[in-house]
Amino acid sequence: MHIPDGFLDAKTAVISAGMAAMGIGIALHSVRRSFSVRRVPLIGLAAAFVFAAQMLNFPVAGGTSGHLIGAVLVAVLLGPSAAVLAMTAVLIVQCFMFADGGVTALGANIFNMAIVAPGVGYAIYALVRRAAGDSLRSRLLATAFAAWCSTVIAAIVCAGQLAFSGTVTWKVAFPAMAGIHMLIAIGEAVITTLVVAAVARARPELLASRPPTSAPSHYTELTAYGLLVSLGLVVFVAPFTSGWPDGLEKVAAALGFEHKAMATAVMTAPLPHYTIPGFRSAVSSTIVAGGVGTLVAFVLAYVLARALTPRGDAAQGRDAGGASPCA
Amino acid sequence: MHEELLNPYRHGASLIHRLPAPVKLLGAAVGVLVSVLLPRTAWPAYAGMGAGLLLVALLTSVPLRHLGRRLLIAEPFAVGVALLALLQDHGLQMFLAMLAKSTLCLSCVILLNSTTRFTDLLQVFRRLRVPPLLVVTLALMHRYLFVLFEEMGRLRRARRSRTFTSGRVFAWQLTATVAAQLFVRTSERAERVYAAMCARGWKL
Amino acid sequence: MNALEVHHLGYRYPDGTEALRDVSFSVAEGERVGLIGPNGAGKSTLLLHLNGLLPEHPPPEPAVRVFGTPLAEPNLAAIRVQLGLLFQDPDDQLFCPTVWEDVAFGPQQLGVRGPELSGRVARALAQVGLAHLEERMPHHLSRGEKRRVGLAGLLACEARLLALDEPSSDLDPRGRRELKALLGSLSVAQIIATHDLELVVEICSRVIVLDQGAVVAQGPTVELLNDEALMLAHGLERPHVLRHRHPH
Repeated sequence: MHIPDGFLDAKTAVISAGMAAMGIGIALHSVRRSFSVRRVPLIGLAAAFVFAAQMLNFPVAGGTSGHLIGAVLVAVLLGPSAAVLAMTAVLIVQCFMFADGGVTALGANIFNMAIVAPGVGYAIYALVRRAAGDSLRSRLLATAFAAWCSTVIAAIVCAGQLAFSGTVTWKVAFPAMAGIHMLIAIGEAVITTLVVAAVARARPELLASRPPTSAPSHYTELTAYGLLVSLGLVVFVAPFTSGWPDGLEKVAAALGFEHKAMATAVMTAPLPHYTIPGFRSAVSSTIVAGGVGTLVAFVLAYVLARALTPRGDAAQGRDAGGASPCA
Repeated sequence: MHEELLNPYRHGASLIHRLPAPVKLLGAAVGVLVSVLLPRTAWPAYAGMGAGLLLVALLTSVPLRHLGRRLLIAEPFAVGVALLALLQDHGLQMFLAMLAKSTLCLSCVILLNSTTRFTDLLQVFRRLRVPPLLVVTLALMHRYLFVLFEEMGRLRRARRSRTFTSGRVFAWQLTATVAAQLFVRTSERAERVYAAMCARGWKL
Repeated sequence: MNALEVHHLGYRYPDGTEALRDVSFSVAEGERVGLIGPNGAGKSTLLLHLNGLLPEHPPPEPAVRVFGTPLAEPNLAAIRVQLGLLFQDPDDQLFCPTVWEDVAFGPQQLGVRGPELSGRVARALAQVGLAHLEERMPHHLSRGEKRRVGLAGLLACEARLLALDEPSSDLDPRGRRELKALLGSLSVAQIIATHDLELVVEICSRVIVLDQGAVVAQGPTVELLNDEALMLAHGLERPHVLRHRHPH
């Protein structure tokens, strides 16, 4: 999802950079306030870990393989703010030392992969955990679902940035980015969950050292990220939700209000409503697919969590089985 | 990947190498900005910039083959996103323009990191008053990248030498376990690094 | 005044296991003392107690005194300047991007700047014979070189007592020889936790034998290491270099 140079216009690059700076500011403040000083070096080493882990191959088919992005993995293991800093470091090093992601697009890339991804991921993780309980199985369910959702949402913001810049129209960017990433996100969810499960097996206390989700400072932190992410969605995605009236009109037709809708349309737009029928439906079908996909993702996440925690060990957080006997 | 981290060309002594890091960083930034801000159809300008960058590349005495290879590795991402542009009006012109711009920008960045050490870039960040917490994170990340890569390599080899089954599911489980083991070791190392930093008086 | 005094030091891990039991010993200024014992004896844990990294919360009556200063919270910074700890894994010790920066780290924390800083770094690197490696990055160094850079970092702080955790482990014979020569040439006091009994014989005048967290013997090196029964009883052995010497 690294956007190269030349794909974002000045206003998008600057706005994204501003939002990225705000997110990093929240993370710095939060780490200074509630992250133990003992664990500060861990942030840097976790960044190195993410970078290394991104190089691991997860074979898919033929010669292709999947790779980990790692935003939600770090967020689950270290907390959202440490994850923001670690992912920011990864992206900075990737940009300057590996030419992976543009220099002018660094702000946008940081916003998408270092703030939206871990922020949204951790929020969903915390919510699902709150609802489903503290057993290993529910934590794995939360991890898998959070990883899937955050990857897709980050991709949607990315599409918004490309469209906002006028580089690629929303009607192309959104279905393409969201569609592809709904599949990529499955890989991310599976890999992230497998790793978290393996860490839980090897060192359960590494997962247990999470700040309680009811701590007030924790809520402030999450709220701040939530606001920032919402701002991003409002700026980059909301302008293009003229796609949604397509869906609304379908609903109107189904319910027999079609004529009313058409009449309004004729009054406001003398030209025919749509020019490229194929693209119109691409956006709305992506939205439908997204909704279905989210439900499917949740179900698959549950299936995965169950597979990794056979009956009887779900509560204790141990996994007696799994594909490899000596984890 | 390893070769990139240990890039020997970075420690060269050419005219460009010896420029101070802030100058190189500024040069690359200006190069990128100019490429991005050029009008879409400014083909002569693209060519001119390309020629200029080639001249700089020659001055660095880093083998052109090496630079070219790095450019080729980085391009596919740009091409992939650019392809999306083809699916719209004036798509081809947009596609070519984006390709030209991103190639120029990639070249600037590749020239920068082929002639500058990350530690020098970090010094520039420090002087630019980047928050210390972020700087120490970047510094530790860079310092331990290679250490963790080596460790990951050892873990994978050890696992594979005792693996007699094949199959994709098993491969995923195995790789995930390697990642988990690496994280556990990284966690432990972070504790020791904290102790080592405190032992020499570190305070954030 | 002794460089180091330890009186009745005890420590329990968080899970309750006793790691150190009533440990008492001292190290005189300029003296080199070997700390030997089987794996798991508590040597590394003991070293971590010498500059206050353990226990997590300093006790009200400190059991450790470094150059007369008790190891209490307000004195920790000053003590860590005087007592330099060299960690077993050189990759833990060298956490800065370049050799120069790592050696300069300690003095910088003390507020040393400018020409004085460069001077200290240069002198420390010269002392360990690595003046030419200032701009190198740690992962380009051999293990022996990393160890010596680590030592330079402690010398740059003008430490008067060095605590070394397995300094010669995993060094090749040349690295070991260089390290031995270097440690032997330094006039500062040293306490060296090690399995390398030959090293102990060659440069340490006294040894402390630690087993299961307790000091089971301490005294002149040759006398104790020649005591075969004592050595075998505590997971050690009489070093070869003594077997071929005339006992004196």
